Amino acid sequence: MTKTPLLEIEDLYARVAEREIIKGLNLTINEGEVHAVMGPNGAGKSTLSYVLCGKPGYEITGGKIRFKGMDLLKMSPEERAREGMFLIMQYPVEIPGVPVTTFLKHSVNAVRKHRNLPELDTMEFIKFVREEGKKLGISADMLKRPVNVGFSGGEKKRLETLQLAILKPCFAILDEADSGLDIDALKVVADGVNAERGEHNSLLVITHYQRLLNYIVPDFVHIFADGHIVKSGGKELAQELEETGYAQFVKEK
Amino acid sequence: MGGLLQQAELPGANIPWLEALREKGRRAFAAQGMPTAKTEAWKYTRPRDLQTDDFVIRTTDNDKKCCGEAGHCSCEKQEEQSLPFECYEICFENGCLQHNHLHLPRGVTVMPLMEAITENDEIKAYLGKSVDIEHYPFAALNTAYLAGGLFIRIAGNTKLDKPLAVLNRTHSCHENLFCNLRNIIVLESGAEAELIESFTYDGAEKSRYFNNIVNEIYIGRKASLRHCKFQNEAFKAVHVSLSQVKVREGGNYESFCLQRGANLARNETKVLLTEEQARAEVNAAYIMNGWATIDTTTDIEHLSPQTYSDQLVRGIVGGNAKGVFQGKIHIAPEAVKTEGTQQHKALLLTDTAEVDCKPELEIFADDVKCSHGAASGELDEEQLFYLRSRGIGEDEARQILIDAYLEDVFARIRSEKIKDWLVSLSG
Repeated sequence: MTKTPLLEIEDLYARVAEREIIKGLNLTINEGEVHAVMGPNGAGKSTLSYVLCGKPGYEITGGKIRFKGMDLLKMSPEERAREGMFLIMQYPVEIPGVPVTTFLKHSVNAVRKHRNLPELDTMEFIKFVREEGKKLGISADMLKRPVNVGFSGGEKKRLETLQLAILKPCFAILDEADSGLDIDALKVVADGVNAERGEHNSLLVITHYQRLLNYIVPDFVHIFADGHIVKSGGKELAQELEETGYAQFVKEK
Repeated sequence: MGGLLQQAELPGANIPWLEALREKGRRAFAAQGMPTAKTEAWKYTRPRDLQTDDFVIRTTDNDKKCCGEAGHCSCEKQEEQSLPFECYEICFENGCLQHNHLHLPRGVTVMPLMEAITENDEIKAYLGKSVDIEHYPFAALNTAYLAGGLFIRIAGNTKLDKPLAVLNRTHSCHENLFCNLRNIIVLESGAEAELIESFTYDGAEKSRYFNNIVNEIYIGRKASLRHCKFQNEAFKAVHVSLSQVKVREGGNYESFCLQRGANLARNETKVLLTEEQARAEVNAAYIMNGWATIDTTTDIEHLSPQTYSDQLVRGIVGGNAKGVFQGKIHIAPEAVKTEGTQQHKALLLTDTAEVDCKPELEIFADDVKCSHGAASGELDEEQLFYLRSRGIGEDEARQILIDAYLEDVFARIRSEKIKDWLVSLSG
């Protein structure tokens, strides 16, 4: 069976504030695959997730990225999201004054509009989001609060996971690069991610620790150091790393 | 004497005490003159656009010209603009009171100021008694032209069942109109009321006029007034307003002012908390664009122990506009166990937008809690990216964040229907 590539990164170079962070990265992720990118602190793992989502301030100095066959670098952050890219953020930002429900309704309807689906009115939306929220242990009260304001680490992850569930992206990036997240919060997001796995949906897990990969088992593991992938393998590579550490890969440069 | 101090034929010229009061106003204005860039209280809000010689004073004469004998404006009006909820509505067209038939509850008096002056000695206890015209040039001018406005009194322990709305509309038929209104608002002990003031225009948005408003508000023991104002004057207009408020023991004054119009606007609130447990909340929001200057000035004087004040002001400034906030809290030596807080925050949407903020605390008492905070900045890039990374378009995301910026100040409006109305006018 031939596999359909979803994301193709080709010889990518990117910089932030005049500093070259990604140097010659190659990575192809096919439909239905789960890839893990592991690396030491400061290797540029989070930069990779922001570059993929189009965060302003990240300058691409070379290479190509194709997403569903399209030139990703020509798409705005919102276009990427509407096409099915979703970043589960390590530290989602607080937005005072914007209730969760208001934010989610704008988001869901922007995506639905792009997919030529009718927009949901307020009543339909509230019913829909309450039902989805319930599955993740998100109360009606939490939906009324301003986005992430005063949320615990676990609540923030629940909200990220709820967005994943209602936006139904085909490509999710889980950025847990250096996070010291507690185990419960980690499980919330892992369960949410696993529930969305499917033959057409792909996942990129960016992590420092092997721990997360006990909950989200990857098909491929890549070791990322000094701005590019230095070694690729199956899930056993993560185990190996746990024992030997990153030192041998960092030395290579 | 040119400029804004002109010869005008005013009603009630045969009432000696009224004429004496007007004369005091004329002298006080002549002594101070127009504020300039050197006038401390006006240095951020230079009244540069007040090249005033061409303003025409509203008098009884042009009352007739504009409003006809029947008292109704003859110029073309847009459809009746009413508030989207039940209230007692009183309209001024070009500063001229329209004779609505209000069925007011017992204990509630609303009458034209001139009627109160000619028929009711009670007004003497209030008119001009709270405003320091020696230090407020526009209040002096307002005193010189005393005639238009309302006398509102809520009798002791009377609770007004619906808001009282005073709607001021200016029509383009009367270019360069200079209109002075004085409202006397008295809440006797235990009275409660909601008052809405709105300033809007009909017709050409380029029409130039000047509204100069003074409210003298007296809040009795354990009385409570919620005062909401919407200012959306035409974009070449000038709007200057002073609300002078006296709050007695256990009394409560809560105000909210949304300003988004005029070329030059100043909304000034001066509150005296004269007795124990008196309380004031002064909140404001301003949204501006173009070349406008909108000024919010407050001065809260804590004169007795255990008095309380809280101010929250939010602004959104785009284009080449300029927002000004001057907030003063004064705590007198005897005002122990007092609390005064103030916070101002403004969002700048363009590089050419400007905000000047001058907080001032004068604390002469021990054992008080007093704080102020001020900040201005641009939209948060992280928040903007978060929304866009969820599929929300950039313009929509910006609008969500702009609306959110005002959310906490709108949340201060206790009445849901008034809040919904003002939120709908802020978009």
